[in-house]
Amino acid sequence: MNKTFIAQNPSVLWFLAFLGIFTVAVTLLSEVTGVDVISTSFVKTLGKTLCLCLIAIAMDVVWGYCGILSLGHFAFFGIGGYAIGMWLMYARTEGIVLDSLAGQALPATPQEISDAIGNQIFGVVGSAEFPMIWSFADSLFLQLLMVVLIPGLLALVFGWLAFRSRVTGVYLSILTQAMTLALSLYLFQNDSGLRGNNGLSGLQNIPGFEATPQATISIVFFIASAVALGAGYVFFAWIVSGKMGSVIKGIRDNEARVRFLGYHVESYKLFVFTITAVISGIAGALYYPQAGIINPGEIAPIASIYLAVWVAIGGRGRLYGAVIGAAFVSLASSWFTGGGAPDINLGFYVIQWTDWWLVLLGVTFVAVTLFFPKGIGGLFDYLVRKPE
Amino acid sequence: MSMLLEVSGVSVSFDGFRAINNLSINFAEPELRAIIGPNGAGKTTFMDIVTGKTKPDEGTVIWGERNISLLGMSESDIAMEGIGRKFQKPTVFEDQTVRQNLAMALKNPRGPFAVLMHKKTAKNGVRIEEIAEEIGLLGSLTRIAGELSHGQKQWLEIGMLLAQEPRLLLVDEPAAGMTVEEREKTTDILKRAAETRAVVVVEHDMEFVRRLNCKVTVLHEGSVLAEGNLDHVTSNPRVIEVYLGRSHA
Repeated sequence: MNKTFIAQNPSVLWFLAFLGIFTVAVTLLSEVTGVDVISTSFVKTLGKTLCLCLIAIAMDVVWGYCGILSLGHFAFFGIGGYAIGMWLMYARTEGIVLDSLAGQALPATPQEISDAIGNQIFGVVGSAEFPMIWSFADSLFLQLLMVVLIPGLLALVFGWLAFRSRVTGVYLSILTQAMTLALSLYLFQNDSGLRGNNGLSGLQNIPGFEATPQATISIVFFIASAVALGAGYVFFAWIVSGKMGSVIKGIRDNEARVRFLGYHVESYKLFVFTITAVISGIAGALYYPQAGIINPGEIAPIASIYLAVWVAIGGRGRLYGAVIGAAFVSLASSWFTGGGAPDINLGFYVIQWTDWWLVLLGVTFVAVTLFFPKGIGGLFDYLVRKPE
Repeated sequence: MSMLLEVSGVSVSFDGFRAINNLSINFAEPELRAIIGPNGAGKTTFMDIVTGKTKPDEGTVIWGERNISLLGMSESDIAMEGIGRKFQKPTVFEDQTVRQNLAMALKNPRGPFAVLMHKKTAKNGVRIEEIAEEIGLLGSLTRIAGELSHGQKQWLEIGMLLAQEPRLLLVDEPAAGMTVEEREKTTDILKRAAETRAVVVVEHDMEFVRRLNCKVTVLHEGSVLAEGNLDHVTSNPRVIEVYLGRSHA
């Protein structure tokens, strides 16, 4: 399979080569090697961007290839983040608690230790009890399993209900958005068991590596994100090539025809929806340790809408388009809103990009939709001569 | 000849309008049949019922030797039972090549995981070429379906149906928008297909039906008005009144 698959998709090789060079270059220029051209905080920004690129290609597969405009994939991203965040927070707090109890004359009982950890984590929402969902928080393995299982199961159940009832088009988009909103509102509650609007924090401190400088940790996560993006890219490229790709593009273009050809369209949609949700969860689990904090605001519907905007600007229906869109727009966003972009003085009015960035993004989105429906990725069509 | 499909006593209403009214109609295998009738006679609704898109209010639809009821089966299951359907408007996957279109339709396992692990085989390749030759698109296998002419798209869709290897082929207005030459070729393809299976053609165009030279069923207001060869039904006074009389007016 490999030879023909790569031969049929030269863009995969190009992408991997580019990603590899980029990763090596950033690593060499970071603080770790002592060159220190790229600051640790910018390494984190780049690592996070790679994770956003990963969820963007998942979005491209579900929307650009299969035609399901999901406005809920950031929920799966967030769930992945919460799942890993629970372990990070638990294990780190456990370490702190054990240290502080170590000096006591009487060794602390397991119950005392557990109470102290609970107090530390949940004191902020006026509780000390461990909610049931934290039952496995002490096990990295189980929490990693949840990174894939919970988004996968949620997508499977939600998708099964929605697709079975033949909910399509804008109605499905609204339904996915409602799911995201419901999840976000639930997490905002203090008794949700996930610290309400405080979310989980201190996630950049990796338990067991307290002595390791953030410069090293950031590079490790950056490389891990690059590997995940590369693997995700190859995986999705494999899915959308060949006969599977034919069928899911067929579903996008003419669902009824595919159905009358004998394909059970709902199973295919469910497959694509679930597999992309799982990858989104993995992307989230890599993103939030680099961000350091996750709170319910991250899951708000607007995040999933941004995701659709990135993919549309980058170019739907081509994986590298999604990567370009996510990287370009999210980096531009942090440049404009982070005060990097110089204000424009018009004499009678000063355009401050922190206020005007959303307007610029909106105008860009409308312009791309109207004038370049193929997005930035469509420019590559002019570079590559079509085989006659 | 054995009975392949038996539709009996089927009725269906949409918002009080009776689209199909106590319709009974049978098809044998092999057979070539034309269904004609004025607009609103229930031709497309009939196809919708047989292919599982519309559930009838009453009646039975019985299929094959094992006398399976098609009612309650999903569209994809019915398609896998061996019923292929061609839409009125040519519906091919315009973004994909002729070969990809045909490959998708070939009779192979249809589950997501079987499709994901699907490998190209020489046998499938040969089959695709045979079908492409049959529909006159052998030289166009690598072309994008969207670039084909209207007639070629119609043939490609018929080719996709043939690739499914159905026992019953339902074809909705295949000749619409075709040139005289293209019509002749379409007639040939359908006639050849009907040598080994049941082919049911819904058509408005009397000239095309005459060329098919087969048994004709006239539908009117959701039930069968007349049945027989074309000359027989066109000389039926009621047919002249409801169909020919109106269309010539």
